[in-house]
Amino acid sequence: MIEQYTITNKYNFPQPSIDSTLPQRFFEQSIHSLKQVQHHPLQLNQQFQQLNTTEQYPHNIQLKPQPIILKPDHQETIIAAIDTSTIKIGETSTGIIVAVRGATTWKQNGAYKYTRLGPFIFHITEENKNQLYNTLEHAYFSTAYGSCHQAAPNIMQMPTRLASLLERWLQTMLAKTVNRGVLLFDGSLTCGTPETPTQRLREILGYARRNQSTVLAFSKATTLRANGLLITEQLPNRDPPYLLETAGVHSKPPMMLLGDVYVARLNKANLAFRLDIDKETPVEQRMDAIQKLLGNDLYTQSYPETLRLSHILCAFTANEVLAIKHFITRKHGIQIINRPDMHKLLFGSYGFKGEN
Amino acid sequence: MKLYKKEGNILQIISFPTESAEKGDYLLVEDADAAKALIAQVIDVQFAAVPGVLEELLRTLPDGGEPLQGEDIDPMEIAPHITYIQDASLLICKIRATLENEMLSPSSSWLPSRSQSTIKKLSIPMLMKLAKVDGKLPIILGGTKDSSLLTIDASSIDGTLNIITGKKGCGKSHLSKLLMVNLVGYKATVVIFDLNGEYSSLGLTNDGKRNMYYDKIHTLIPSQNFKVALEQLPLNTVMGILVNALHLPGTSAREFRRLWKMLKEQGKLNMQNLGEAIRDLNCNQHVRDALASRFHSFANSGFFTDCPGEATLLDESLFKAKDAGGAIIVNLKNTSNIDRQIVVEYVLGKLVDSLSNWKLKAVFLFAEEAHLYLRETYWDDIVTRMRHYGIFTTFITNQPDTIQDTIYRQADNIFLFNFTNEHDLDVVSRAARVDAETVRSIARDLPPHHCLTLGKVVRDFPIVARVRALDIKTMGETRLFFPTLNS
Repeated sequence: MIEQYTITNKYNFPQPSIDSTLPQRFFEQSIHSLKQVQHHPLQLNQQFQQLNTTEQYPHNIQLKPQPIILKPDHQETIIAAIDTSTIKIGETSTGIIVAVRGATTWKQNGAYKYTRLGPFIFHITEENKNQLYNTLEHAYFSTAYGSCHQAAPNIMQMPTRLASLLERWLQTMLAKTVNRGVLLFDGSLTCGTPETPTQRLREILGYARRNQSTVLAFSKATTLRANGLLITEQLPNRDPPYLLETAGVHSKPPMMLLGDVYVARLNKANLAFRLDIDKETPVEQRMDAIQKLLGNDLYTQSYPETLRLSHILCAFTANEVLAIKHFITRKHGIQIINRPDMHKLLFGSYGFKGEN
Repeated sequence: MKLYKKEGNILQIISFPTESAEKGDYLLVEDADAAKALIAQVIDVQFAAVPGVLEELLRTLPDGGEPLQGEDIDPMEIAPHITYIQDASLLICKIRATLENEMLSPSSSWLPSRSQSTIKKLSIPMLMKLAKVDGKLPIILGGTKDSSLLTIDASSIDGTLNIITGKKGCGKSHLSKLLMVNLVGYKATVVIFDLNGEYSSLGLTNDGKRNMYYDKIHTLIPSQNFKVALEQLPLNTVMGILVNALHLPGTSAREFRRLWKMLKEQGKLNMQNLGEAIRDLNCNQHVRDALASRFHSFANSGFFTDCPGEATLLDESLFKAKDAGGAIIVNLKNTSNIDRQIVVEYVLGKLVDSLSNWKLKAVFLFAEEAHLYLRETYWDDIVTRMRHYGIFTTFITNQPDTIQDTIYRQADNIFLFNFTNEHDLDVVSRAARVDAETVRSIARDLPPHHCLTLGKVVRDFPIVARVRALDIKTMGETRLFFPTLNS
């Protein structure tokens, strides 16, 4: 039986009437899963890796050579961003222990503010992964899209799934509450994946449109290529800020792309990013939104500061990982053991797994 | 607390916020398997190098301006754990001894188990018990941080050279008074060179009433109640004054010695006859002038008299103090620089004379700002020759660099008050019984009236204590122009 826990309903940015069901369920499921692992030894994760969803989206596309020149619009506009992060804390004899956290950041009246949700700590096992995910999914939408009808996710994919679920919930909350704002998402507007069911993303974009807000999704990395070269590396010899339009981007079913893809170079830093903007947003509103972003946010490395802060705020530091270990040891009696890392043991200093 | 590192005799210990440890505290690092324990003293407290702390702090400062305002919804209450880890401290500890079978040894050559060792605070009373800092003649110096009393034994300052130092107004004179009255209480003879006239009231309570020491305090004011007759003076004492205090050249000194012996043999040794003998002396003009000028210094000091009845006080005081104990306070407050040197030369000569003839057993000498009246060659004399006669000196100064290096190297006990000046701390660090890190780290943070006691009295376990109050009329306060504003 799942015990009932209450959390303070503080998530009231920037308007009231916010549904806190998902964080409530996150909290309950987190506690419930940790209770199952009490007094079990925990093996430390020997190479900490923050798990972020990386999208594979290879397509040959065209990149229009004529840039769309942008002018910063200083009309005061709310710029809000969301990001989530997850980290594997360690392994138990039956599963893994992960932490998930989300952050929303916004700039209003010249000041950055944030709300951070979490961390939530889960013990994920083969036995509880379906129940855990479905409970959270049901808490999110009254009807679950996709994942519960599909094959159960691999246990190693679960952290990403949980983070995605929290991210979509945060995006929904922002889309529902911000009026005439610019919403910055991390990643693309690709959907139809187990992590991002199409209907879910449609709803989020729909809420944003209803509130006359514009969703701008920035990808830190892209695999999209035009003429064999990455679209973010074919920048014209023009002064930024500008956008480059793409054409011919198609996705293979069941995946769908709900946005139009651009390349955004926002300042003189020689960096450009893939930018997805909701297909159903009128072109004029799109340009208006990106120019308001330029006029209201900082973008020192061609990347919006609000989104950068969201990422920074939800990322787990080594200090926090230590604190989480301390928490699970003290509160849940999980013994931390340090089994030898076979990579390190066999290969010495060459024993890294490639990711660090 | 967890043992983190050992380098030489320095231990590094990780301490969490719930385990409060401060500079000066003692820790017992116990390795049950080895059946041994290290006794270490915290000499510095630093932040532990927790990974990720810098990122943690920096991420709340987005553009170098105002800290990022926000709200953390943390239903699982992880934040206190983050703070707990972030606030972990690293205790830098100096190993003082190894405890094995309830015996202490100064060794730090073994390595306790990092994973199995238990670390706990060692209370000062327990440390004192282990170090066997006890005895039959207790002197309560004051209270330690853990509310226990720091008690030393009077016998541990017997035969020793002591230094009380610290910056102005931190309680040095107060501690020296405390030591003095306790020594007097144990029937010791104490002589004080009182530069500012602040020890005269040792026999009075705060409200001006007589205390138990009243009859044992003998204040001598040169040229007032403290005079000497020439016939009472041994020749070597007079020569000491002339050569060392008045810088009489060798040839003139020889002539003076001849004159002195002649007058002594004739039974005519007094100021008047000495003056006349110098005036009538048939010798080189320069020699006569040199002797005349020294004679005038003698005469002008008012310290010498031809009346033997006026000149018995020092002997009397020493005699009284010999059996019942007592403090002879030589008040040098209104004495000129030359006269001060004459008086000090005389008193030291007299003490050596009395001690060498076994008229006295031993004397505890307290010398405030001794550089103002002690000639340079006396420093070595005091720590070597005079110690063997039984003069055990305590130097009190707020200018540690005025005391010679040789004194620091041979000091048995140092009572160190607050110093913030690096140079001063460096000077004190030269003492043989002190390690420089302890002095630099602990002394800099000592609050007023707190003293770091080092050396034999605490069996080389440096201990910080707040010097206890004394019910003695204070006279060492600085005179103020705006007393009410400053009080």
